[in-house]
Amino acid sequence: MLILTRGAGETITIGHNMRVTILSVKGSQIRIGIEVPNDVRVLREEIVDSKVKQATEEA
Amino acid sequence: MTHKEQAWKAIVEVEQTNTFHFPQGMVGFPDADNYVVLNSGHGDIVCLQSTNRVEAAFLVTPWDEKRLGKHPELTSEQIACLQSPDGDNIIWFLVLNPFSDPKWVSANLRAPVAINPDTFLGIQCIQANPELDLHFHWMPQPGLSQQAA
Amino acid sequence: MIVLRRTVGQAICIGDDIRIVVTKVEPNTRAHLGIEAPTSIPVHRLEIYEKIQQENCAATEGDTLAWLQGAVNDA
Repeated sequence: MLILTRGAGETITIGHNMRVTILSVKGSQIRIGIEVPNDVRVLREEIVDSKVKQATEEA
Repeated sequence: MTHKEQAWKAIVEVEQTNTFHFPQGMVGFPDADNYVVLNSGHGDIVCLQSTNRVEAAFLVTPWDEKRLGKHPELTSEQIACLQSPDGDNIIWFLVLNPFSDPKWVSANLRAPVAINPDTFLGIQCIQANPELDLHFHWMPQPGLSQQAA
Repeated sequence: MIVLRRTVGQAICIGDDIRIVVTKVEPNTRAHLGIEAPTSIPVHRLEIYEKIQQENCAATEGDTLAWLQGAVNDA
């Protein structure tokens, strides 16, 4: 895993067409801006985890 | 064999048989991922010409240990991308810019190119060290050095 | 732009194979982001990525092969 440290207003590039920007750092909470192509899905990890759990239970 | 000799061996073999594949393209040219080598056998510089986009043609020259010291280290991600077992067989090149400075051909020390001569894979490796010069004076523009002579 | 609030230990999933996790937050200052992506996907700070992109464009601004052939003939 690559770890990069960024302050407010600073951006990381992922591949050639995705950007992740730290919009603000207030206390220990951060606001992150994600820019990706329209066909790329962005999810909170907790949602991904709960969907997988739901699918497994239904099976 | 010096690094330079290894670099030329790799380049000559490619011209005869194959193309280099750059899975990430070059920075700013992500879709230019296949390259042929043009104009080798004429001194220290060759043209790495993309077969996808004609304007993605880069002048490259082998890393020179005498002038620059040891070549860069690869990250583990880069070693994996090049499919190299341990990074030891990698050959390094510098991208040259003959267009920005009327007096100098400059070399980009901050983003050299790493090539695996066994897999014909390559990547441009952005270096973390902010001291590395993007416009290192590599050689005087050819016309100028002639005038000086 | 998709905007999400995250704190330490929370993560974001992009596509099928990219994950960004907040490993540490220096209060009111900086976030440490862990990025998991396939080795084929480069990850960089924007400022340096754009600098290199600009330099690559400048280095290919003219006809590089023609320049090289001219330089060889001069030598």
